[in-house]
Parts: sequence; C-alpha cells; structure tokens
Amino acid sequence: MILNNIYELRWKVLPPAAGVAMIGMAALALITAPTEVIEGDVQRLLYVHLPSALASYFAFSITAICSVLFLLKRDFKWDSAAQGAAIVGLIFTLLTLLTGSLWGKPIWGVYWQWDPRITTTLILFLIFSAYLVARKSTSLDSDKSARFCSIYAIIGFLDIPLIHMSVRWWRTLHPQPIIAKLNPALPDEMLLVTLFSVLAVILVAAWFITLGIETELLSQRLLKLKAIAKASISEKS
Amino acid sequence: MSEVGFLFAGFAVFWAGLFTYLVILQVRIRNLQNQVDMLENTIENHDEI
Repeated sequence: MILNNIYELRWKVLPPAAGVAMIGMAALALITAPTEVIEGDVQRLLYVHLPSALASYFAFSITAICSVLFLLKRDFKWDSAAQGAAIVGLIFTLLTLLTGSLWGKPIWGVYWQWDPRITTTLILFLIFSAYLVARKSTSLDSDKSARFCSIYAIIGFLDIPLIHMSVRWWRTLHPQPIIAKLNPALPDEMLLVTLFSVLAVILVAAWFITLGIETELLSQRLLKLKAIAKASISEKS
Repeated sequence: MSEVGFLFAGFAVFWAGLFTYLVILQVRIRNLQNQVDMLENTIENHDEI
C-alpha cells in the first residue's frame, strides 16, 4: 500500500526533481568544481561520464530483477518493465561510451582503445541491444520468447561486475577505483560535485525508466485490446 | 579541437542524448494514444452497426 502510494507520486516528484538536479549538476560541474591540475577543464567530463555509467548499471539491474520476477511469476508486466528499463540502460551506456571517447581523445590521444573497461562496456551495449532486438522481433505475448529473453538478460547482467572489476583484474588505461573505497582519492569539492551529479543522473534515469516501463505496458495493453476487439468483431459478423 | 571544445562536445552529446530519448518517447506515446483512439472508434462504429 505504502509502496503503491510512493509509486503514484512518480509523475509529480520525479520530473521536477530530476530537472532541478540536472540544472544544479551542470552549474556545479562547469562553474563550482575546481579545475584539475593535470587534465585541465576536460576532466569536468567526469561529472557526466561516471554518472551515466552508474545510471546504466542501475537500469540494467532493474532489467535483471524484473526478468527474475517474470521467470518466477510469469506475469508479462515484469517482461514489459524489463524492456522499458533495458532501453534506458542502453541510452546511458551509449552516453558513457561517447562521453568517454570525447574525454579520451585529449588525454590519451585517441577516441577509442581496446581497453578492458571500454571493451566490456561495449559488450554490455551489444548484449542488451541484442536482447531488445530479440524481444521486439518476436510476439510480445510469446511466453517462450519472454522466458528466453529473461534468462538472456540475467546472464547479460553478469557483464556489469566484470566491467567493475576490469580495472583490478587487467592492465587498463582507466584509473583504479577513486571513489568506491574508504578514503576516496578525490578532493572534497570534486567528490561532492561527483556525488551530486550521480544523484541527479540517477533521478533522470529513474524518471526515464518509469516512462519507458509505462510505455511498454501501454503497448502490451494495446496488443491485448486489439486481439479482444478483433475477436469480438469477427464473432458479431 | 581545444580542451574546452571536447568538454563542450561531451556535455552537448549528453544533453542531446537525453532530450532525443524524451522526444522519441513522446512520439511513441502519441502513436500509442492514436492507436487506442482508432481502436475505440472502430469498436464504437461496429456497435452502432
């Protein structure tokens, strides 16, 4: 009941909160945050690159959770929710790759490197692109296809821990973890702006995911309605 | 391109990506709404007959 009431507030709370947080994030990232001594102004891309990556993990986690729920309950609303979240995850993965590429050129001298973290991120993008292509190319109410895609999404999700650990396991151009540890290796001002940016982008991702899920649910309802209308019309005629 | 140019390009790509997705969703929702309206009209017309 309480969860339902909170969910009902999504249209009133999420869009304004996300909008205000994003404007705040842009101001903090471009004006307030100090300039990094070695990389200069281009380092400010951290405030969109890292949050985009975390937002994609957030979205794909929802896809994986909804896929597990679909397999347990066989309710197609979880399948639709998984698809809605996967689209948002893909968008944020693409933004991570693009902003990373634009950050990489002035620092590494190239737009693209077959670095373990970049490569595993690209693999994540390809895994969930294939998931959506497979799911959209088959009937939305096909139980077999939904089951197959749910299992595929859960296995695909395992790439995220691989991305996270890639900087520890392999030699990579990416730095070792600088925030996710007891004593973050960022100055306090940069750390605060980073955390605020993560919060802002996660809010946007949450808003997009709810919109995406509602759209998928609506298209599934429309399919059912079409089938009912078709059956009823052919019965009368 | 200068450092600031790359910074501008990165932020532009990020904001453009978010707005593009919102526009795509808006168009999709409108299409779905149109289909629901068409379906309702079809059912109403059929009931009248």
